[in-house]
Amino acid sequence: MWFEDIPLDEELVLGSYTFTEENIVAFARLYDPQPFHIDKKAAEASIYGGLIASGWHTAAVWMKLMIASRREAVASGAQSVQDNFVSPGVREIKWLKPVRPGTTLTYTNKATAKLDWPTLPKFGLLEGINEARDESGALYYSFINRVLIARRNPR
Amino acid sequence: MSERLYFGDFRTGQVFVLGTHQISAEEIIAFAKEFDPQPQHIDPVAAKSSILGGLAASGWHLCALSMRMMVDGLFANAASMGSPGIEEVQWRKPVYAGDVLKLQAEVLGTRESSRPDRGYIRMRFSLSRLGKSAQPQLVMMFVSSVIMGRKPEAA
Repeated sequence: MWFEDIPLDEELVLGSYTFTEENIVAFARLYDPQPFHIDKKAAEASIYGGLIASGWHTAAVWMKLMIASRREAVASGAQSVQDNFVSPGVREIKWLKPVRPGTTLTYTNKATAKLDWPTLPKFGLLEGINEARDESGALYYSFINRVLIARRNPR
Repeated sequence: MSERLYFGDFRTGQVFVLGTHQISAEEIIAFAKEFDPQPQHIDPVAAKSSILGGLAASGWHLCALSMRMMVDGLFANAASMGSPGIEEVQWRKPVYAGDVLKLQAEVLGTRESSRPDRGYIRMRFSLSRLGKSAQPQLVMMFVSSVIMGRKPEAA
């Protein structure tokens, strides 16, 4: 989809992911081996009172679900070309509630702004708000993503 | 290792060098297969014709890898209690298989908490590529506040 064609303010449901003791510990052993992410006993004695997922695990799952969701859109014909996600960065990552084993989060994305990116005139910069909530609707995680999307009409 | 670090040990302007790491194609692909399976991150051949020009690490992988370097280089020996979020992440340059990366953290400020057992350390984390040139090249940076425990009163 070209930059020009992307609708603003439409919420997309990207998908859901269940955090388990197994996947929380496996991620954290590799990337964030702090006691409250890898050691159940130590986690119980921490300020969190139990094992919680690394914030980067919660963050990486967004990318996983975003890609799966876009591929489904291509497979179903709703979108013609596979996006290539190249991003100069993200803002305002908020880990609002600890993610504990057994929590299923549903991630959403809503494009909110189209901006110029002067160094790459063939692309536009799309900004969006992203959220992850549990079944009761409680907000666990949010951030603002930025992605470069090819323009139909380069500037 | 040196003595454990608490909130009171951090000062604005302090710089911590948190080690170096040579990133391999295997670890780039392993992360990306699970969380960011785009051709530029998982397929060395397809990556050559991508916008990045070669097999490059997922930006989320660089965040996770930096976290690991932080834990090994600083938090394993400090009273870290996690983080409420990240103000901003900038992915400045692609990181390719074989690159040698160095992580540095600079204390931007410290702030008291309403809770007497902890405070906030605001830090800028800079991931740089070491090359033949004298100056390391900044590839990613992020700014985050870390919750740090205070030293318990001696009994």
